[in-house]
Amino acid sequence: MKILEMNHIQKSFGDLEVLKDISLSVEDGEILSIIGPSGSGKSTLLRCAAMLENVNGGEVIYMGKKASWADETGRHMIKGEDAVKVRQIFGLVFQNFNLFPHYTVLKNITEAPILNQHRNKEEVYAQARELLRKIGLSDKENAYPYQLSGGQQQRAAIARALALNPKVLFFDEPTSALDPEITGEVLKVIKSLASLHIAMVIVTHEMAFARDISDRILFMDKGIIALEGSPDEVFHADHQRMKEFLGKFSR
Amino acid sequence: MNRKLVCAVTVSAVVFSMAGTVMAADNGLAEDGKFVVGFDAEYPPYGYKDDNGEYTGFDLELAQGVADLEGWELVKTPIDWDSKDMELNSGAIDCIWNGFTMTGREDDYTWSVPYVDNSQVIVVSKDSGITDLAGLSGKIVGVQAASAALTLLEDPEGQKDLADTFAQLQQFPDYNTAFTELQAGSIDALAMDVGVAKYQVSSRDGFVILDEALNSEQYAIGFKKGNTALRDIVDADLQKLVDNGTFDKLAEKYDLTEFVTLGRGTEGTTEKATE
Amino acid sequence: MRIQVVLQQLASGMLRSLWIFILTLVFSLPLGLIVSFGRMSKNVVLRTIVKIYISIMRGTPLMLQLLVVYFGPYYLFGMSIGGNYRFTAIIIGFSVNYAAYFAEIYRSGIESMPAGQYEAAQLLGYSKSSTFFRIILPQVMKRILPSITNEVITLVKDTSLAFSLAYAEMFTIAKQIAASQTSFVPFIAAGVFYYIFNLVVALIMERIEKSMSYYR
Repeated sequence: MKILEMNHIQKSFGDLEVLKDISLSVEDGEILSIIGPSGSGKSTLLRCAAMLENVNGGEVIYMGKKASWADETGRHMIKGEDAVKVRQIFGLVFQNFNLFPHYTVLKNITEAPILNQHRNKEEVYAQARELLRKIGLSDKENAYPYQLSGGQQQRAAIARALALNPKVLFFDEPTSALDPEITGEVLKVIKSLASLHIAMVIVTHEMAFARDISDRILFMDKGIIALEGSPDEVFHADHQRMKEFLGKFSR
Repeated sequence: MNRKLVCAVTVSAVVFSMAGTVMAADNGLAEDGKFVVGFDAEYPPYGYKDDNGEYTGFDLELAQGVADLEGWELVKTPIDWDSKDMELNSGAIDCIWNGFTMTGREDDYTWSVPYVDNSQVIVVSKDSGITDLAGLSGKIVGVQAASAALTLLEDPEGQKDLADTFAQLQQFPDYNTAFTELQAGSIDALAMDVGVAKYQVSSRDGFVILDEALNSEQYAIGFKKGNTALRDIVDADLQKLVDNGTFDKLAEKYDLTEFVTLGRGTEGTTEKATE
Repeated sequence: MRIQVVLQQLASGMLRSLWIFILTLVFSLPLGLIVSFGRMSKNVVLRTIVKIYISIMRGTPLMLQLLVVYFGPYYLFGMSIGGNYRFTAIIIGFSVNYAAYFAEIYRSGIESMPAGQYEAAQLLGYSKSSTFFRIILPQVMKRILPSITNEVITLVKDTSLAFSLAYAEMFTIAKQIAASQTSFVPFIAAGVFYYIFNLVVALIMERIEKSMSYYR
């Protein structure tokens, strides 16, 4: 079943056309990586999917429900009760975490499910502690974000997104703000999520990681999807831009 | 602090204050039964704080006498002297009763009968060497803002010519500040009412009043222009206070006997004097 | 006048100053928040009106504003004022003035919040109001507390302006005692009172600041 469909998405900032007619879909449980040079529109695509940006053309559809679209009458986003339901389908992990600094790790994770999903407190706490155990932060539940390393903060942010039980989780360059020696711990956590059967869309510059984890890879260049396929197909494609891009990484 | 209480107090204050602004009985009081007297609480001996911290003075005791005669509640309201006209015109106070000089302001208020004959005088340090008005030439002279002395010194038909000989005419908010400056030598002389001057000179060391006065003028009670109803009541009551001796007793108490004019048959102003 | 009487008189004046102080904060702190919303509104008309209001409040003396609030009803509408309106006018004048200052402080705090906090809250399903009151405002308060403290201490000293509406607060009473006693001592005593008042205020603000220092 298709969790997410994006059809003919266009997005401009002023005169700058960042996304030019992009279409993609994400199946239930599928892991999709988006790679490409800086400025190719990867993050913007993710932000359009997460409804942080509206679109100038095309439509974003979650489980058959139109969530964000543009037509002759202008740019639209779903509103009211429907919007609340649609937004529960996806979660997002930010490049710079965006944890709430005045909440403990545990409250960062538990408040949204209790307050916004009206779930049972005990159940949410139990789930949060299970998540913390899984990401290796059991001893940090009462710590404040400033007391954690960058890697620990990003792991906590992943747990926070997971606690809402999304069907698809977006990662916007989850390791770009981290020191190279600690990107590993975050990537390991993301890998371990594969067993949860949550669909994931990962924007990343970690080529080996993308190749390893993904069911499918999109290579974006200058606002379009230049290549799409299995990791093997994409990484071995006879494609000029892709080769140049990979060349930069192997150097 | 109890938040509920704070809210309740404020809300009721707003409500009552709006409700309480409705006019007015034919005795001319803005609020029936309350005689609101505006005065300058830094103006002894006419209005000031006594040793117990209560507002008192010659004028306030007279006002109390009037309130007692009429069965009114006297509300002593110390005002910012600069705002006295706004206070009076807006109905926030019923009258200005506080060594209030009538001379030169005859047309601005509805006046009671004058009850004190007051002069504007000059106070200097004993060792200043200044002995007459001519000696003030080139000196810095202080005067209270919005006071009768200032009006006189700025009036071309008054003493403006004299004031023009001063090095500077400096205004100050109250007499205490002014005397501190005089003591400190930052000003050379002070112009003020003789009654105030006598009180100040007797309670401070080292000052004298020049024999030569700036002028002679009269104190009366100022009512909002046109409020003759209240004026007539107060005038009649003042006469009663003169008749029963209260007026003289108070004049003596405040050392003003030589200045009061009511009941003396002088100046032709006691038109309601009993024969 | 005995020194006990002087102190007792000043203490009663202090109580009157304290009332202005407390009521002004009770009204101006929430009002300032509402004004700051108007200042940041997308509606141009509303934003402009609020901008003009703030500009006038900050650009004219508080004493003048107090006079307008108190005497305005009479001079503009011919209403007779008097009685209890005096104190009400003082509280209105102070609150409306301080709300303008607080509004700009709130605005600076709110605008300094990174967009990521709003985006994270949106992704986690927080409503607009719970985003503001649970996520944004607590962090804003921490950021702006030093500026708020400055204003609060200024307010303590500004209470003496209430005498322009013939409200005998502490400084006025000090002046009156000084006049009748022809003495400078009441002023010094009043200075000590103000200092203690501000010392207590500073201590309380420090406490609040400390209570927010559990995170960075």
